[in-house]
Amino acid sequence: MTEKELSVREKQEASAQEGTRAGHTYLPDVDIYETADSMYLWADMPGVDENTLNIGLEDGVLTIEGQVALKDYERLAPVYSEYKVGNYERRFTVSRDVDADRIAARLTNGVLALELPKAERAKPRQIKITQN
Amino acid sequence: MTFFRFMPELDPVNGLLTLQRELERAWQRPFAGPWTASGHGVFPPVNVFNDPDGYVVRVEVPGVAPDQLKVEGHGRTLTISGTRTAEAPQGGSFHRRERSAGEFARALQLPEDLDVTRTEASYKHGMLTIRVPKREEAKPRQISVKAA
Repeated sequence: MTEKELSVREKQEASAQEGTRAGHTYLPDVDIYETADSMYLWADMPGVDENTLNIGLEDGVLTIEGQVALKDYERLAPVYSEYKVGNYERRFTVSRDVDADRIAARLTNGVLALELPKAERAKPRQIKITQN
Repeated sequence: MTFFRFMPELDPVNGLLTLQRELERAWQRPFAGPWTASGHGVFPPVNVFNDPDGYVVRVEVPGVAPDQLKVEGHGRTLTISGTRTAEAPQGGSFHRRERSAGEFARALQLPEDLDVTRTEASYKHGMLTIRVPKREEAKPRQISVKAA
């Protein structure tokens, strides 16, 4: 077919700040979307064991992390490889308007979906202009 | 033939790093035996492994619901196709778009000694795993060594 093919980028290593576990950690691809009420984030984390998923918001920094389920690779020997296997981690500076108590997270089909609602006072308000 | 087989229980500290190094050696090998995967760099990416029973193909398909995924076999060709959706609520705008959405299809050529009629596919956490066992006669046979 001649339609544009979906492409795939090689996974990038998460930053120079090393973790304590051995093994490379990669940045998951994300989409970030904003409406008047909330910020939304979707992160591709295929193969992650949901029990290892960790989402934190501290001092205006959102951290998402997850570990790959290594059991799925038991007794396998690599023959040909196109994607890297590893744990995921990524951090974002988010506006202080995000209400940390109301963050909702869901992992579906290997995608972490986050909704970060904005605190009431942060929502945009229209200011009426009256004519005199 | 490879000597490495991933055994995470034997290497709990460095297990992941060891697997990553072996994957590095298999990175986009152009003539990885009979495997020819057309169009690497195209979604979805595949990793091919072998295990004692045959070949295991693992495909990263995050954001693809199992009912949007199709795996078909025609002779020695395995085709993986489907649709990846990126949902977003109304009335807002994207700040970042790193995840592509749309239809995809990839074809893989399988080696000769596989029993394609016994191909199995399973899906979990955005990963598709396709197992294709070797034909009985292609499995390794133990040859006993007699003392002379």
